Amino acid sequence: MGTLFLTHEAGLGHVTPPGHPERVERLAAVQRALGGPDFAGLIRQEAPPVSDTDLRRAHPPGYLDRIRAAVPDEGVSDEGWAQLDPDTFVSPGSLEAAYRAAGGVCAAVDAVIAGAAGNAFVAMRPPGHHAERDVAMGFCLFGSVAIGALRALDHHGLARVAVLDFDVHHGNGTQDILWDEARAMFVSSHQMPLYPGTGAASERGAHGNVLNLPLPGGSGAAAMRAVWGPALDRVAAFAPDLILVSAGFDAHRADPLAGLSWTEADFTWITGAICDLADRVCGGRVVSSLEGGYDLDALGASVAAHVRVLMERGA
Amino acid sequence: MSDIAGMSFEAAMAELEKVVRDLESGNVELEKSIALYERGAALKAHCEARLKAAEEKVQKITLVDGQPTGTVPVEGL
Repeated sequence: MGTLFLTHEAGLGHVTPPGHPERVERLAAVQRALGGPDFAGLIRQEAPPVSDTDLRRAHPPGYLDRIRAAVPDEGVSDEGWAQLDPDTFVSPGSLEAAYRAAGGVCAAVDAVIAGAAGNAFVAMRPPGHHAERDVAMGFCLFGSVAIGALRALDHHGLARVAVLDFDVHHGNGTQDILWDEARAMFVSSHQMPLYPGTGAASERGAHGNVLNLPLPGGSGAAAMRAVWGPALDRVAAFAPDLILVSAGFDAHRADPLAGLSWTEADFTWITGAICDLADRVCGGRVVSSLEGGYDLDALGASVAAHVRVLMERGA
Repeated sequence: MSDIAGMSFEAAMAELEKVVRDLESGNVELEKSIALYERGAALKAHCEARLKAAEEKVQKITLVDGQPTGTVPVEGL
């Protein structure tokens, strides 16, 4: 069936101020990394914009109005962007980028459920896993992966989905959106303490379906495998019909925003372990979406490692 | 972080507690979070070093018939 790769040039139109780590060059680095002959077999599609119906499953209308109103019009803002919180900026192109970031996940969910692809990777920005129902934060506007998970449940009628988040920061937004969703399991590994401060193991969700895996600063492969092994067994017991992945690559040892010491080999391992689980419980159906990763070389190499495994397994 | 080297144990511990509180409060920016974490790690290392030095001093207290009579300087201090 193959691996679907969704991206869009609009992701390069979300411009952040000079020196901001979540920058246009990140997506360019990912697109470059997946442009070589090794990746010629990817099924390439443009990420479409998300529908309002899909957005509203995760965010209230008032929040969407506030985000739309905050985005500066082309040529109106002196500096080209508006600031939503100390970390989070929007430029005239941000709305289309964020719409296509969430829409890309939804299109990937559709394709994988329809059997048009074995699995999928969505490379867009801004990232999404810090965006709560009613709060834009941590570089994120819309909870793209949570939006895709809710589409799989409500539009496609799947019984259960799992969202696995290995970004180095806690996926507080996804956790917030799915907190009271009995049909979704959310698992996040993250360095702790670190931004955003949440993600303690004691945070378990309204239905006991949230599993937080805090990792100590400086830790690497051994600590990662020690927490993810049993966690994936828990996910298997939940028996999801689809697995979504918040794929952040900032746990890499070279990342400037965090202090874990993962390498490309660790992203290969965890991707393989997720695909093994997906083979056992949901016919291999995996939809992965880019979150963080701020060292351009490490990001490119790690995404390549991740997608290489998806291609081997989605063939 | 050269300022940490001259800090007392109490001052370093107090700042470390504040760093942990700030990191857990969610009020620290994503971009600055790692710098704060690294300062916390340096403060923790300093506190541990001061504790170890204190332990060594305690071990060097000389006892005569179970009564402390003085201290022997620790090598290297």
